[in-house]
Order: sequence, then C-alpha cells, then structure tokens
Amino acid sequence: MDETVAEFIKRTILKIPMNELTTILKAWDFLSENQLQTVNFRQRKESVVQHLIHLCEEKRASLNDAALLDIIYTQFHQHQKVWDVFQMSKGPGEDVDLFDMKQFKNSFKKILQRALKNVTVSFRETEENAIWIRIAWGTQYTKPNQYKPTYVVYYPQTPYAFKSSSTLRRNTPLLGQALTIASKHHQIVKMDLRSRYLDSLKAIVFKQYNQTFETHNSTTPLQERSLGLDINMDSRIIHENKVEKERVQRITQETFGDYSQPQLEFAQYKLETKFKSDLNGSILAEREEPLRCLIKFSSPHLLEALKSLAPAALFSRIQKLLCYSASHSQGTQDPSSYIPLYPRC
Amino acid sequence: ALPCFCTAGSQSTPGPVGFVLKTWLAGILAPGLGVLAHLERLETQVSRSRKQSEELQSLQAQEGALGTKIHKLRHLRDELRAALWHRRGNVKACIANVEPNRTVEVNEEEALEEKLENVKAVLQAYHFTGLSGKLTSRGVCVCINTAFEGNLLDSYFVDLVIQKPLRIHHHSVPVFIPLEEIAAKYLQTNIQHFLFSLCEYLNAYSGRKYQADRLQSDFAALLTGPLQRNPLCNLLSFTYKLDPGGQSFLFCARLLYKDLTATLPTDVTVTCQGGEALSTSWEEQRASHETLFCTKPLHQVFASFARREKLDESGLLIDCFHCTGNTSAK
Repeated sequence: MDETVAEFIKRTILKIPMNELTTILKAWDFLSENQLQTVNFRQRKESVVQHLIHLCEEKRASLNDAALLDIIYTQFHQHQKVWDVFQMSKGPGEDVDLFDMKQFKNSFKKILQRALKNVTVSFRETEENAIWIRIAWGTQYTKPNQYKPTYVVYYPQTPYAFKSSSTLRRNTPLLGQALTIASKHHQIVKMDLRSRYLDSLKAIVFKQYNQTFETHNSTTPLQERSLGLDINMDSRIIHENKVEKERVQRITQETFGDYSQPQLEFAQYKLETKFKSDLNGSILAEREEPLRCLIKFSSPHLLEALKSLAPAALFSRIQKLLCYSASHSQGTQDPSSYIPLYPRC
Repeated sequence: ALPCFCTAGSQSTPGPVGFVLKTWLAGILAPGLGVLAHLERLETQVSRSRKQSEELQSLQAQEGALGTKIHKLRHLRDELRAALWHRRGNVKACIANVEPNRTVEVNEEEALEEKLENVKAVLQAYHFTGLSGKLTSRGVCVCINTAFEGNLLDSYFVDLVIQKPLRIHHHSVPVFIPLEEIAAKYLQTNIQHFLFSLCEYLNAYSGRKYQADRLQSDFAALLTGPLQRNPLCNLLSFTYKLDPGGQSFLFCARLLYKDLTATLPTDVTVTCQGGEALSTSWEEQRASHETLFCTKPLHQVFASFARREKLDESGLLIDCFHCTGNTSAK
C-alpha cells in the first residue's frame, strides 16, 4: 500500500469520533467482519488506528478505497461543509432523460481527466437516488491534493446538484461543465442558496417541506394548534383583538403548517420600490428610478423564528412575502412593486 | 361469713320495720345465726323478685314502645309502597304514551349513523378509483393512488389552492416526475387534463418501479449482476441467464422506456455475452427475448423463464423454443 494512501486513511480515521467508528467502518465495507472483530475498540485511539491501518495494508487498500472512506465520513458530517446549489437546464424540445449511471460516471471522469491530467474522481450512490462525487484536484504537474477535495451531490433526472464550497474556486467552471455534459444538460447556473444543511436545501429546492395532506382516511381531525396566544395576554385586550389574532394564527398555520421548517439562517431580499402619491410634490413619488434597498434577515433558524412571531402579530406581511416567494418556482421575476429573489440560507 | 346487717340493709329497701326486726332478732337469737342467715336469704330473695318484677315491668314497657314503633314503621312502609306503585304506574303510563316517539327517535339516529358510515366508506373506497380528493379550507387536496396489474401501489398528493391563478400549494410527487411541465401546460386551462396527465405519469412510473422491484426480489437467482436502474425506472440494464444453477449463456439486456406514460419499453436490446459465433438456436432465442421484453411486463417474462426451466428439468419437450444447445449439454 502506498505511503500516501496509508497516511490519507490514517488521517481520515483519526477524524472519526470513537462512537461513530464502527458504524462508519461497516458502511465502508472494506474490512471484513472477521478483521473488524480482531480490533479492540476500547484501546486508546492511536492504537486502534494503528491496528486498522495494519489491516488495510493486509487487504491492500487502494486510493479509491481511501476516497470512498472519505466520502462516507463526509456523508456522516455533512454539516461541516457549506453547500451551494446549482441548477441545470436542458434546451427546448429535448428528449426524455434516459439517465444511465455507468455512462454518466465514465463521461464525468473522462471530461475531468482530459482537462487536468491529475485528478481523483470517486462515486458513491445512496438509496435516496442521489450520487455523491468526490473530486481531488491536481494540475498537469502536481498530484491531486487529497486533503482539499470538492464534493458534489447530484440527483439524477432532476436539474439540481449540490456542491461543497471549497477554496479552490478556479476549478468550479470545469466542474460545472463536466456535470452538465455528463448529465446531458445544456446550461448550469448557481442559485442564491447556500447552507450547511443539505436536508434543508433539498426541502426548499425540491419543495418537499410539507408532507402532511388531508385525506378522508384520517380519523383524527386536524387539531388546532394554539401558538401560545393565551400566554402573556392582558385579559383586557383579548376581546378586542381576538378576531385579528385568530386571523394571524390561521394565516400562520396555513403558511407554515405543522411540519418542521427547513433551516434557513439568512434571507436577503432586494427591493425596488416605486412610490405612488396622490399629493402633488411628494419627493419620493417624483423619482424616476425605483428606490433600491436590500433587506436581510438572519437567525439561527429563521423560519421557526418568524413562525413564533405570529402570536405577537408582527411582520405578518413579511411572512406572506417570504412564503409566497418560497412556494414559487425559482427563477421567476415578479415585475410588480417588489422583486422577491432567492432566499439565501 | 358473718352476716353484716348494714350492707344487707343498704341493698334493699328494708324500711324501718325490717331493720328493727332484724336488730331485735339479732339481739335475742344471737346464738341462732343460722336463722339470721336464713332470714337474710329470704330478704335477698324478696329483693331479687322485686327487682325481677321491676325489670319485667320495664321490659314490658319497652316491648310496648317497640311494638308501637313497629306499628308505625309498618304503616310508613305501606305508605311508601303505595307511593312507589303509584309512581311506577305513572311512569308506565308515560312510557306507554311516549314510546312510539322514542322508538322513532332511536331509529332516526341509527339511520343517520348508518348513512354517515356509508358515506365514509364510499369516500374511502374512492381511493380504489385511483383519483380522489378532499376539499380543504383553501382548495382541494387531490390524492392519486397508483396501481399496476391489480396491485395497489404508492399514493401521491397534490394540494391545490383555488385562486386565480390556480396554483399548487404543496405535493408529494417525486422530483423527477415533470410536474411543473404538466402544470405549465394544463393547470390553468384544463384542470381535468392536468389531473389525468399526472395520473398517467405517476401510474406508469409506479408500474415500471414495481416491475424492476419484482425482478430484483423474485428473480435474483437468474440475474448475474446488479440491476442497473435510474430514479424514473426508464432505463434498465442487466445480465441474466436462463438456468439458475448451470452454465448457460449469459444475456445482456438494455431496456429503454422513452414514453414516460407507458409501462412497457420502447427500445429493447438483447445481446449474448461473448456471442460472435452464435448458433441459430441461440440467435432465435435472443430475438425471442427481445420480443418478450417489448410485449410483456418484466417480471412476467422472467416468470416464464423460470417456468420453462422447470419444464426442462422434468424432461418434457418445449414446443416454441429450440434449446438444442441446452439439451445436448444435459
């Protein structure tokens, strides 16, 4: 086994926390059950790692095996990377997408290897119809750097791919090209979505954030969830504002639903507002150009925070704005007075 | 014991005469203490009998009181009984009057409940039609239940908001089904067409998925490698053999389903591995496989392969397919 490969495997295993070690090794499926049973996992970590390296040497682990272990580690620790979202598009009148996994892998690899002589490309398919691609970049003259790889998670037969943001930005166009050609698309565009949480990105992009539906089969009626309307309410104002609060609660319920929200950390909106005025001589209304401003929301969990604002009856309009834009397909530009853009995570 | 006149005196009511008699007798007949004792005994007897008669009197008095009490209670009991009978009589009369109405009420209630159960059952049964819906506060939630060859498969939901323009609020349709394309074409103009088209796509997808899953699970013995498939299940690639145990030729099949609304492939290619010099029998078999895959669902084709092998083993002749290669090997 190559020294660099051994070092690479060692550093990868050292990153894995002890309580996850057996799970990850089993998922890797490179060392056999018998081999794993000979390892005493209660020792100090260094000893365990030494033993594992020894076993890998016995089995002659290759660079590809090491890369696979790295992919599995990253799959378990997705949140350590920041993910960007890319959207591809086909030309008009294209044929039905007959995605062939083998063809895709070969094509993708070839394109990268033709451009850069030194590059390591590895693949791992998951059960949710996704393919994880790991690329370690080198140049014409240097070997690939295994410690700064880029990951791409592509969902075949959809236009979306998620890429881990890396410092080696110069390879991004090449990567985009390889992905587009291999998956038989024409164009690739980076969306204004970025997050550590792949699941949230998926939920937003695939519009799968609410999976509860009303059917006749459900015997339990939809329960009204009280959003804490009764807490901290002065008894003197209940009757007067009750109708308004109920309306807000209903809208919140309809907009956010009962499910857990995707985890957004930022949302940024560029507004272009043209002011109207009935009075003559209003300064703002006389402007030719619309007023441009940028509104940014940030929170550890933005959508949940907005949802909890409902009892306080604040920002109801902004709720509507956010959720209206989230439910629209990405890429629509509303030519009305405000332009909702893609929320940034 | 020596009689003690004082105590004997205190227990009864001797009266002054008795006392004087006692002391006189005691003085005169001092030596005759036996007589005194006898007198004493007589006195106690008298007092006892007096006590007894007193007790008897008080007992009698008590008996009298209890007797009257019993009499009173009996009287009360009779009164209450009479009242109870009276009331029961009233109630019965009431029931007799009211009964026809009450049965009607009960019947109506039962009838309503039955109707409700019927309606609920019908609504649930609508699932079997493949397309059903439920009104929501803002529109309708459509449920598409897919099926293939009589097997009920997955269900998909589309929650529509009835506004101008009609829009989809949320859905559970898989990402690779071209929902947005279908919506762009039909949702605003012809909602019926939209739903039927979506049904077509989803049923076809479910059917293809079902065939691929059955092939992987039921006929793994005939596959010599993993089944290559994609999310839409519209491209399948696999190698298979006809004989699970033996050393027959390996076939490579590639099935393309270019029509996403169909459950049968549009293009089929079957090749023989290492088959340049193919005998005509194998060539015929290969061609027949291609036709089979085009015309019958995947798992049924493999089921026929499996059946044919069973017939082969029992030594019966096969009419349609020339298996000279096989039989000579045996």
